[in-house]
Amino acid sequence: MRRAWLAALAAFALFACERDDATLELALNWKPEPEFGGIFEAERLGAFEKRGLSVERTGGPGAPVVQMVTAKQVTFGIASADEVVLARDRGSDVVAVFATYQTCPQGLMTHVARGIDTLAALLAAPGTLAVEPGLPYVKFLEQRYGFGALRVVPYTYSITPFLRDPSFTQQVFVTAEPIAARRAGAEPKVFLVADSGYDPYTAVVITHGDTLRSDAARVARFVEALREGWASYLADPAPANARMGPLNPEMDAEAFRLAAEAQRPLIEVANGAVGSMTEERWAELAEQLTALGLVKEAQPPERYFANPESLRAAGAPHGRDGSRRR
Amino acid sequence: MDRGVAIALEGVHRTFRAEAGGEVPALAGIDLSVTPGDFVALLGPSGCGKSTLLRLVAGLDRPERGAVRIESAHIGMVFQDAHLLPWRDVLGNVALPLELLGRDAAVRRARAEAAIAQVGLADAARRYPAELSGGMKMRASLARALVTEPRLLLLDEPFAALDELTRMALDDELRRVWRAAGLTVLFVTHSIAEAAYLAERVVVLSRRPGRIVLDHRVGLPAERTAALRADAAFAHETGVLQDALRRGGALA
Amino acid sequence: MNRAALARIAPPLLTFVVGTALAEVVIRILDVSPLLLPRPSAVWTAATSEAGVLLASLAATGGAVLLGLLLSSTIGVAAAVALAASPWVQRAFYPYAIFFQIVPIVAIAPLLVIWFGYGPRAVVAAAAVVSVFPVIANTLAGLLSVDPNLADLFRLHGATRVATLWKLRLPWALPQLLTGLRIAAGLAVIGAIVGEFVGGGGLGIVVLAAMRQQRTDLVFAAIGYASLLGLALFGAVGLASRLALRHWHASEAKR
Repeated sequence: MRRAWLAALAAFALFACERDDATLELALNWKPEPEFGGIFEAERLGAFEKRGLSVERTGGPGAPVVQMVTAKQVTFGIASADEVVLARDRGSDVVAVFATYQTCPQGLMTHVARGIDTLAALLAAPGTLAVEPGLPYVKFLEQRYGFGALRVVPYTYSITPFLRDPSFTQQVFVTAEPIAARRAGAEPKVFLVADSGYDPYTAVVITHGDTLRSDAARVARFVEALREGWASYLADPAPANARMGPLNPEMDAEAFRLAAEAQRPLIEVANGAVGSMTEERWAELAEQLTALGLVKEAQPPERYFANPESLRAAGAPHGRDGSRRR
Repeated sequence: MDRGVAIALEGVHRTFRAEAGGEVPALAGIDLSVTPGDFVALLGPSGCGKSTLLRLVAGLDRPERGAVRIESAHIGMVFQDAHLLPWRDVLGNVALPLELLGRDAAVRRARAEAAIAQVGLADAARRYPAELSGGMKMRASLARALVTEPRLLLLDEPFAALDELTRMALDDELRRVWRAAGLTVLFVTHSIAEAAYLAERVVVLSRRPGRIVLDHRVGLPAERTAALRADAAFAHETGVLQDALRRGGALA
Repeated sequence: MNRAALARIAPPLLTFVVGTALAEVVIRILDVSPLLLPRPSAVWTAATSEAGVLLASLAATGGAVLLGLLLSSTIGVAAAVALAASPWVQRAFYPYAIFFQIVPIVAIAPLLVIWFGYGPRAVVAAAAVVSVFPVIANTLAGLLSVDPNLADLFRLHGATRVATLWKLRLPWALPQLLTGLRIAAGLAVIGAIVGEFVGGGGLGIVVLAAMRQQRTDLVFAAIGYASLLGLALFGAVGLASRLALRHWHASEAKR
């Protein structure tokens, strides 16, 4: 009987306890790809060790990153800005600290042969649209343009249906599927969702509000290591690509190279550091999601994110909203 | 009055292949002749091949050697278990053979009701097997066997699973039916008392492989009553049969 | 009848009420994030406030499940009859029937969409594929267990193979068939939802969209609706079973 109680207690402790201080876990939300190039480059350069940080990569396609960070099973995770706004609205205290993509790389891809020039025309034409169910930007596009005669079906991360159907449209990450489609012999026409006005930061590094409050300095150092990694990766992606290659057999070296090139304009920041964020962008996103009815109430934009400068300066409480929710 | 068929078995051999390989000889040369309207009991120990013999007569099986000669006629068969279809009522069960023969509904119903009355089950015609006692189920099985007005009735230890009182009642029922209809009856049993009480003629089989040890005409009156079982003549008959069984290795 | 019905429904209802009350209290006390495990009250709110969408989706999934079950039960019984015909046929083909049990539906759902296109047809196919094997296996067992004396009786009276099939073997196998159907019903719901993940429509899409939008309470609500569907099917087969077999057993006969 006592053993049973001890076992139950141990299980509970395992579930509820905080992360071990020594190692920081970073959960990715996809396979190793140029979108995580800066991370692998930072590892290669020893940028984390230099700052006294021990970082372990985890996660993968389908990993419930937001849940993992909420439960403090990992210290950091990769998500997109709209996921952050949604999660905070449901009572989770996750905060963004680094935005890889300044411009959202989500898009819709169809065939050039259809002769369609605008997103509005695309969505008004008949055909099939393959998107992940529930994506906020899909709702945004539907509300703005209407889906007319489109048949909406689930996207299952294969471009085969696209290749076989001349009137097919599918969601894409502009650094991935269009490149693969071109290499498979198709002529894709790509529309960037950001061009229609919905432009959340993407491949955002998130952490738990408690972590920020208790360990702001360490988070700041982590972000600075990322910046160092990204600066180096943007200058020369090849070494980090070589490290990622064996971990992602579906992409060859050429695919890595092309993707790294394609994403460059989406990441570079004109006058500022890679990964930095602004209140205006977050405010706009929160407003858009509220208007779509996906979020009950927009929070003050400063709750959603923290730049390392503010962490170092305040050294302290950020984003506390007064409630006890985790 | 003898509507029954004649049966002739000549040099019948039947051997089965055992699961583990090898052969099991069930019957090793049976010569048997049954006159129409006779009531014959096949008596023998378990496994002696008497059920096999019955199935050969029924035409459900064929001998490797020898011949089974029997007129083409309706045959009724009763097994140790009543084997009624649980999803049909008594009427539906009894009418089954006629249904399989393609008779029309009116004929089926009339004949089934007659057969049910014949075995004293008229009150239960609409009941289902699950609601019947063992004895009633066996009566229904008997009625089913009689519904085609068969000229040969084959019974394979039909009353063995019933309690003694029911068994005695059904024994009398069976003889009554036999005397009224005049059909040929072949009755398999391992009970000496039952063989002596019911049959006109008892054929005793040896242990496997079955051979005829004794072919004996029972010396008891045509009217068989319960009191007969206490009679000295009855004891004499059972003694003869027991002897034959012992000779055939049954009691070794 | 009222007392008996009450005696049947009250205990599970009681455990349900106590269980959810306990869960509500524990989740509140431990302050578990709604993203990880929503409170029963939150799930209830989602289930009722989004009832329109959920009911419509339930109807779509339910329709696909029913069609899928119709397919799998027809094909399943036919296959069982064919397999029961001869030991050779059984040895030659039964191992391939087992394929339908072990193939992971998640893996072949995309294939089904390629063959049947997006939409209800692929979903019906998915529901049928996962639910056909229990019908085959159980019906076959029933057909092979036919009382040999009864089979003899049928032969004795010159019954044709068709007559024996209709009047003896299929009715004899009915209890096993219904057992297989009971198992198939639950599997068909799973198959349909997985089919919807790839083919679109119904509760499957509601679940995916809710997960994408961090609506864990809605995910649970959708699962709740799916469970009701499974429960309803289970109950329907149970009812059909009691009706069809009411004469078979002494205990049923007493009611």
